[in-house]
Amino acid sequence: MASTVVHVDKLTKKFPAPGGGEEFVVLDAVSLDVKEGEFASLVGPSGCGKSTLLNVIAGIEVENEGSVTVYPAAESADGAIHVGYVFQSARLLNWLTVEDNIRFALEAQGVPREQWRDRVTKYLEMVGLGGQEPNYPLNLSGGMQQRVAIARALAIEPDVLLMDEPFSHLDEITARKMRIDLMEILERAKTTILFVTHDLREAVYLSDDVYMMSTKPARIFRHVNVDLPRPRQPEDPRLFDMEKELVREFFSVLEQQAE
Amino acid sequence: MIKDKPGFLAGVLTLLAFVLLWQLVSLLFLAAFLPGPQELILRLITVYSDPTSYTVVWDTLRRIILGLGFSMVIGGIAGLIMGLHRHVEAFLDGWIMVLLTFPAICWAFLGVLWFGLSDIGPVFTTVLIVFPFVALNVWEGTKAIDKEVIDMAKVYKANRHLIVRKVIVPQLMPYLFSSMRIALSLSWKIVLVGEAFAVGSGVGQMLVFHFQDTRVDMMLAWGVSFMVFMVLVDVLIFRSWERRAFRWRHQVAT
Repeated sequence: MASTVVHVDKLTKKFPAPGGGEEFVVLDAVSLDVKEGEFASLVGPSGCGKSTLLNVIAGIEVENEGSVTVYPAAESADGAIHVGYVFQSARLLNWLTVEDNIRFALEAQGVPREQWRDRVTKYLEMVGLGGQEPNYPLNLSGGMQQRVAIARALAIEPDVLLMDEPFSHLDEITARKMRIDLMEILERAKTTILFVTHDLREAVYLSDDVYMMSTKPARIFRHVNVDLPRPRQPEDPRLFDMEKELVREFFSVLEQQAE
Repeated sequence: MIKDKPGFLAGVLTLLAFVLLWQLVSLLFLAAFLPGPQELILRLITVYSDPTSYTVVWDTLRRIILGLGFSMVIGGIAGLIMGLHRHVEAFLDGWIMVLLTFPAICWAFLGVLWFGLSDIGPVFTTVLIVFPFVALNVWEGTKAIDKEVIDMAKVYKANRHLIVRKVIVPQLMPYLFSSMRIALSLSWKIVLVGEAFAVGSGVGQMLVFHFQDTRVDMMLAWGVSFMVFMVLVDVLIFRSWERRAFRWRHQVAT
């Protein structure tokens, strides 16, 4: 039985409404668990608070009620929690080389300096960018920049890797290739992932677990287990069937809310 | 620079046109009132064949370096703090406005009264006039900082020191460079004025000396040679430094 890495318990997050008035509830008693080595997705319409959940887990936003716990891996030497984050855009430091961008995260996380070189090489190769160390981000395509961002996140050897619609800014063909490659990368890196998307097909294809979220109230209304063997084919009809079923459910929930 | 042929050619043409115009205008006046280019070259030789001239130039140069250096450091830090802390912004904003509007000539006189005939007077005057410009420029730069990469740095638990060094300062570099250009051109003018008032040494003092003798030719020789020197500093040091600092950007074009 895999141990829990991220435990979110009845998390509520409110933002003050612009111009005073009633507070805006972006997360309403949301609970979920991500187990070690698992790929979990959070799917919901835009603006439903998915990114906010990731930000609370990453520690850059504070919860109003409930709790979020990240458990460090058993073999973690310093007992510190390492959270990797891949954003919608790559968010690289354009004035630093690819290598220095990854070193930035390693330095920030307090990884011993002796390990930097090996980690940079290992994870750049893993994302298919071996040899790009001295290059500057602006010389790379959008897809390659996002690969650097993934390498940066993996290089800190995170307890959990948070991904916030990481392929939504890429063209569909590049995104497709990235999804396939991500599967292979994760096969090797064995990272625990919490992935946010509004694309159900993407979620079903990538995930072991899918959590579906609605907007008002901002709650998780369904948790599905995607019990299909890996490696998966993007064209697998079972994925389509599952997607269709989940889309139907989404619409029925949206209709209920509209009433 | 060699790649930039049209720009180089335009520069040479402008210079030639200027010398020609000068020559023509100087023919209309007495040589003592407006000397022509050849006379100026002769005076330049007079000035720079005298070894004491180099002491004079060094005196002025030292004050410019000090004034510029302190202005950049104080202005840079003030601008950065104003950009990063809202309550300091409100506090320093008023001070910057006071300093910017206070007449420069008052500072020059006060510098003399407070510090007498030393390096401190002109440096003090320069810093008080120049650093508010630098602070204002850097402060403007902090407003253009990309918040997304700062959030990224925070997610990766980068400490404040690392964020300032690797995330904030690099984004301020264009503003620091443009400030430095302005600061240099302001500094050397102010230092000369300060020296002319009271310091008793440096290029400013030489200008006063030749003014009293109504030696327009010598005044021009000092003024022009200093101008040439400052342009060279800008082109040879600052621009190549800037090119190196923005390597990551220039590569895009290739």
